[in-house]
Amino acid sequence: MATRRDGFRSALPFILPNAVGFFLFTLGPILFSLGASFTNWNLKSSPPLQFVGLRNFIDLLSDREFWLSTINTGYFLLGIPFAIAGSLFFAVLLNQKLRGIVVYRTLFYLPSFTSGVALMILWKSLYNPTFGPINVGLREMLDAIGLVHIDLPQWLLSTRNIVGLNVEEVGFDKSQFGLGAKDALIFMGIWMAIGGNNMLLYLAALTNVPEELNEAAQLDGAGKWRAFWNVTWPQLAPTTFFIVVMSFIGGLQGGFEQARVMTNGGPAGTTTTLSYLIYNKAFTELQIGYASAISWILFALILGITLMNWRFGNRESEY
Amino acid sequence: MKNPAIYLVLALVALSAVAWRWQPSDVSDKPQLIWVSDDNPARREQIALFNKLNPDISLKLDPANIGVEKVIVQCLGGVGPDLFDCASTSDLATFVQAGIAWDVTDELRKMGLDPQKEVWPGLAPIGTLDGRSYGFGCNIAADAIWFNKDIFDEEGVPYPTGSMTWDEFIELAKRMTKRDSKGRVVRYGFMSDWWNWQNFTRAFGGSVYSDDLTRSTMSDEKNVQAVQFMQDLIYKHKVAPSPVDESAMATQGGWGSGTITYFGGGKSAMAIGGRWWLTTLRKYDKLRLGVFERPSNGVAQVRAYGRVTLINAKSPRRQEALRFLMYQAGREYNELINAQADGLGPRKEFAYTDSFLHNPAFPLETDNGVWRKSAENAIADQVSPYVSADVVGRIITKQMDLIKANQKSAVQGLRDADREIQERMHKELRDNPALREKWETATGRKL
Repeated sequence: MATRRDGFRSALPFILPNAVGFFLFTLGPILFSLGASFTNWNLKSSPPLQFVGLRNFIDLLSDREFWLSTINTGYFLLGIPFAIAGSLFFAVLLNQKLRGIVVYRTLFYLPSFTSGVALMILWKSLYNPTFGPINVGLREMLDAIGLVHIDLPQWLLSTRNIVGLNVEEVGFDKSQFGLGAKDALIFMGIWMAIGGNNMLLYLAALTNVPEELNEAAQLDGAGKWRAFWNVTWPQLAPTTFFIVVMSFIGGLQGGFEQARVMTNGGPAGTTTTLSYLIYNKAFTELQIGYASAISWILFALILGITLMNWRFGNRESEY
Repeated sequence: MKNPAIYLVLALVALSAVAWRWQPSDVSDKPQLIWVSDDNPARREQIALFNKLNPDISLKLDPANIGVEKVIVQCLGGVGPDLFDCASTSDLATFVQAGIAWDVTDELRKMGLDPQKEVWPGLAPIGTLDGRSYGFGCNIAADAIWFNKDIFDEEGVPYPTGSMTWDEFIELAKRMTKRDSKGRVVRYGFMSDWWNWQNFTRAFGGSVYSDDLTRSTMSDEKNVQAVQFMQDLIYKHKVAPSPVDESAMATQGGWGSGTITYFGGGKSAMAIGGRWWLTTLRKYDKLRLGVFERPSNGVAQVRAYGRVTLINAKSPRRQEALRFLMYQAGREYNELINAQADGLGPRKEFAYTDSFLHNPAFPLETDNGVWRKSAENAIADQVSPYVSADVVGRIITKQMDLIKANQKSAVQGLRDADREIQERMHKELRDNPALREKWETATGRKL
């Protein structure tokens, strides 16, 4: 009779390659960065490496750049509801029994398998305030309806934003109200997310909604919208919950590629997110200890928001 | 075909075998040096000449890994290049503090080289920290004002010569700015790169730090005047493009910053820049160029910038890499740089020849004396040991973004930059007892 120990021995060769990789390249660096966050390690010869306790974390509390980057990161989360709604909308459209539906599905998934950097460079051109197609189109439209005096957004060159966040201090500034680099990145992010994995997840979930439920609703006289709202949408709750959680995690970790490729974190730091700040602190200013502390704050933030999502978001997601 | 996957695998194996058979042989007995530098087209010729003069070594360019952070991380990880360029005194401080720049003071002395005496005074500090040498020098740039002769002829304006005041310069730039019937600018009188703001602060007699480098002087009157002047060129005098205007200009592709290609494309009558612009501008057909000294109100000093090649302190081929520094000090290299117009060669003596002033290959380039004079007046950027240069760079860039976009006045932006630099310096002094002691000794007061 095989014992539990025999079972473990048999499983070991299968587990080991992955486990070794995990311990060496994931858990090891994570614990290392936790240790580094309590030191003044800075890749320079001076000052010598020292344990500084909680000093990095305390310094963060008074670091304006950290708070502004946290606000920028939070601002970018504003795009999540629109991205999710857009994904669901297109998933419903692509769930129709149409001829050539596979072609449509492939086309809508295009942003996901196209190089992110190439897309960002393309969007950078689209956002050109003078000859970019977006402003050229907007100008034509505004001129056509007689609004010739309205100034167009300067997109990636502007520090403005739709809630009027101050550029240099935590707070609001009326003069900053408008559309600018932050919003430009949000719009691009929504476009990239709508046709992405979320749409595929919704598509898979929609195909799993029992046909009988919709038929029963129709027999009871429900219209399409009523059937969707009362039958399909509740059935999608577990998928929606998963997408919301993953979107928040991705959103809090995001912003690096966009900043690196499109804006360099500017203008005036308006598109510097926490992930780009970590990069700047670690690899430009060489303050590894301080950057590690920011990473752990980011981790705590993600964990906290995920737990909140878990606590308040999945009450009706089990069927 | 019963199982296409098997055929596919077989085809891939066959193709792999062909690729393996045909792979280029890279096995060489020669030591190979990797040089991280920019992708300036002039670099290939410089490498070819080194390889010709040093047939027992093979030098290769690696432009993909340029960037302070990449170089440091790779060198510390043991996979760094043998040679890498350093473009500023602040970068040098970072490389030295990271422990990856090899102190070559003694090696240069053994080779009979003394950068302090032989290279341009504005270039030597880029490779020198606390009296120690870390490289020899690739080239130096000290800016002057380029002008497009055809545009001046078209407007019937005589070519500017000699020095002029800033007020006279503004009047000239206004005259050279061309507008259409609706008042829109179709050609700017003047353009400049805002990243090179120290061109202007130097020209107005300003500096980033006090002489003892213990405090920021960013908000001092001379700096404010200089940066306000830069902003006024755009918004008050309307002779230079705003960030939005710049985005509307299409440029010819190729190596070099946007301003070079804007100027080369006739979008501006004048521009402030270095002799190194010629590595791009020579490719523009029928472009007739002139150069005159940067205007001044009695301040002769010009901002020096350039590159010094450093040796990776952790490279196993340091001795071979030293041969590259020797090459940079040689006649062949200096004459090549001067002929390519990749700035000026590091050794000043090679700029005092007739062939430098009148290169027969480029008979229309008659202004090399202006570049030489600019290099004579050029001084390197300051770097304070009491605050991270990268942090200061980011603080100032942020404020310059706001000033350039007209969201802040120069006085306000520089006051904020000054405050942030002081805060940052205070933090670094607090965290580093040795640095604090040095600062307290220099200032004679307690923090």
